[in-house]
Amino acid sequence: MRVLGIETSCDETAAAVVDGDGRVLSHAVLSQIADHRPFGGIVPEVAARSHLHHLDSLIRRALDGASTGVAGLSAIAATAGPGLIGGVLVGVMTAKAMAAAAKLPFIAVNHLEGHALTARFTDGVAFPYLLLLVSGGHCQILAVEGVRRYRRYGTTLDDAAGEAFDKVAKLLGLGFPGGPAIERAAKAGQDRFKFTRPMKGKPGCDFSFSGLKTAVRQAAEALPPGPLADRDVADLAASFQAALVDSLVDRVGRAAEKFTADYPAGRALVVAGGVAANQALRTALSGVAAGAGLTFAAPPPALCTDNAVMIAWAGLERLRLGLTDPLDFKARPRWPLDPTAAPAIGAGVKA
Amino acid sequence: MHERAPSLNVWLVMLILAFDAALQATQVAVWRNGEVLARAEERLSRGQAERLMPMITDAMAAAAVDFKSLDRIAVTCGPGSFTGVRIGLAAARGLALATGRPAIGISTTEVLAASVADDERRGVDGMLAVIDSQRGDLFAQLFDAAGAALGPVVNVSPDALRALVGERSILTVGDGCEMAARGLTSAMRSRASAICDVSVLAGLAAKRGVDPAGPLPIYVRPPDVTMGPGSRALRS
Repeated sequence: MRVLGIETSCDETAAAVVDGDGRVLSHAVLSQIADHRPFGGIVPEVAARSHLHHLDSLIRRALDGASTGVAGLSAIAATAGPGLIGGVLVGVMTAKAMAAAAKLPFIAVNHLEGHALTARFTDGVAFPYLLLLVSGGHCQILAVEGVRRYRRYGTTLDDAAGEAFDKVAKLLGLGFPGGPAIERAAKAGQDRFKFTRPMKGKPGCDFSFSGLKTAVRQAAEALPPGPLADRDVADLAASFQAALVDSLVDRVGRAAEKFTADYPAGRALVVAGGVAANQALRTALSGVAAGAGLTFAAPPPALCTDNAVMIAWAGLERLRLGLTDPLDFKARPRWPLDPTAAPAIGAGVKA
Repeated sequence: MHERAPSLNVWLVMLILAFDAALQATQVAVWRNGEVLARAEERLSRGQAERLMPMITDAMAAAAVDFKSLDRIAVTCGPGSFTGVRIGLAAARGLALATGRPAIGISTTEVLAASVADDERRGVDGMLAVIDSQRGDLFAQLFDAAGAALGPVVNVSPDALRALVGERSILTVGDGCEMAARGLTSAMRSRASAICDVSVLAGLAAKRGVDPAGPLPIYVRPPDVTMGPGSRALRS
C-alpha cells in the first residue's frame, strides 16, 4: 500500500508518500514563511495563491522521490480541514482530480487527526493514548480511542499556545514565527519575572493564555523606556516560556489522572502539533508522563510542525478501515476531533 | 496522443475535457473536434468545490470517454472569483498530473469575446468582455472584431471604461454588461451568454500552444491583506 498525502491548510505546502509499513518514501515541503513575514502573520489569500502555484510540482517531486507514478498509489489523501479554506480547497481539488483520473480512493483527512496519529507510526503507540495537541491554531487535550474516535478533556478558552508564542514574539520584536524565536531567546534568559502560571491548580483541563500575554506586555512596559535590552528580552522570553510550560504541565498532569482512571489499558502520553517542537515543553512533559506511569512519545520536530507525512499516514490508517470519501466531500474550515465537546466561547475554531 | 498532421494546420482528432468554475456557473463539457459529447451546467456561486469533480466524472461517463484517452484539459483561469479560479485550476492541474496530458488555461474574458457570434461582430470595431468583480467594479478586456486582445485584463470602475474603449464602436459581453452600461451608455450588448461557453473554451484550447508552466491564474487584483481565524494571525 502506498498513500499520497497533501497538506495545504496553513502556510506549508507539502506532499508525501508513505507505505503500508509506515515508511516515509518521500516528503516535499515548501514553507511560505517568507511570503507572510512582511505582514507579521499569515494572510489567507497570499497562502491560497502560493499553494496553487507550488502544489503540483511538489506532488511530482514526492512521486519521483518515492520512485512511483500515480498508478503505483493505493489512495490519495488531502487535508480537508480545519484550516484556511482557500488553501484547503487547493489541496482537496487537486487530490479529488487525481483520484478521479487515476480511479483511486480519495480520503479527506482532518488535519488535527494527522497530528493526533503521527506518534502511531513514529513510535508505534497503540490506542488508547492521551494526547496534548498544541499548535498555532489549536490547544487541546484528548483521549485518543481510535481512528475518528476522540474525547476532549480540555481546550484553550482563548488563544492557542502557538498563537501566544507568536504574539509575545511580536511584542518582544523577535519576529515571525514566534515559537522558534522565543525558544532561542529564552535559552539566554532566566525566569526573572515569575509570571502567574495560567489555570494552575484550577479544576478541569482547560487552558488560557490571553492573561499571560498581557502580563508579558505589562512587564515589558514597566521596564525603563526605550528599546528593550537584550537581557530583558531574553528574560521575558524565558519567563513567558516557563509560565506557559508550567501551565501545560499542570493541565496535562490533571488529564493524565483522568485518563489513567478512564482507560486503565492506556499506556502513553503523546504530544503533537507545532508547539511540540519546543524542547523545554518536551522535557517537562516526559516528567509528567513518568509521574503518571505513562510512556512519553513526541514525534521528531519536523513531523510536529505541519507536514504531509502525517496526512499520508492518517490516510493510510483510514484506508485500512475502509474510510474513504466521495468526490463531493465538503471541506471544513472548522472540524473538531470531538464533535460532542462543548464549544469554548472565546476560542472559536481553536477548541 | 493525437499528433498534428505534418503539412496541414489542422488537428486530426482532439478530445478535450473543458470546465469553468470562475464565474456564476460551474460548467463541464467533453468535446471532440467541435462536437460536444456531453455537457453539464449548474448555476452555483458557492459549492463548486463539491460539485465540480462529480460533474466531470458524470460527463466523462455520459460521453463514454476515459480520462486516459483525453488529449487535453481546458480550464478558465480567471479573472473571476479568486476561489472559483483556484478550484478550476487546482482540478485541471491535478488531472494533468494524473493523466500526463497538458492542461490549457484560457482567460474568461477571451472565452466571452470568442462567444460573440460572427453576425454580431460585423459592423463593430470590437468586443469588451466585462466581468463583475463582486467589489463594485469590473474586470475588463478589449478585443478587436476578430477576437484578438487589444490589451491586458484590467480592474476598472464603470466610469473608466470610456477611456479604455475610446472612439471604438463595441459590443459588451459578460455578466458585467449592466454595470458597464453606467460608463458606456451607447455600447450595445452581445446576445452571447454572460457565462463562459465551455465548448468555446474547448475550441480555443484545441488551438493553443502548451505552456510547460501549466495554466496560471489571472487574479488581476493583489491579495487582500486580512488575517484568517484560527491562523497564526496576529492581533495587536
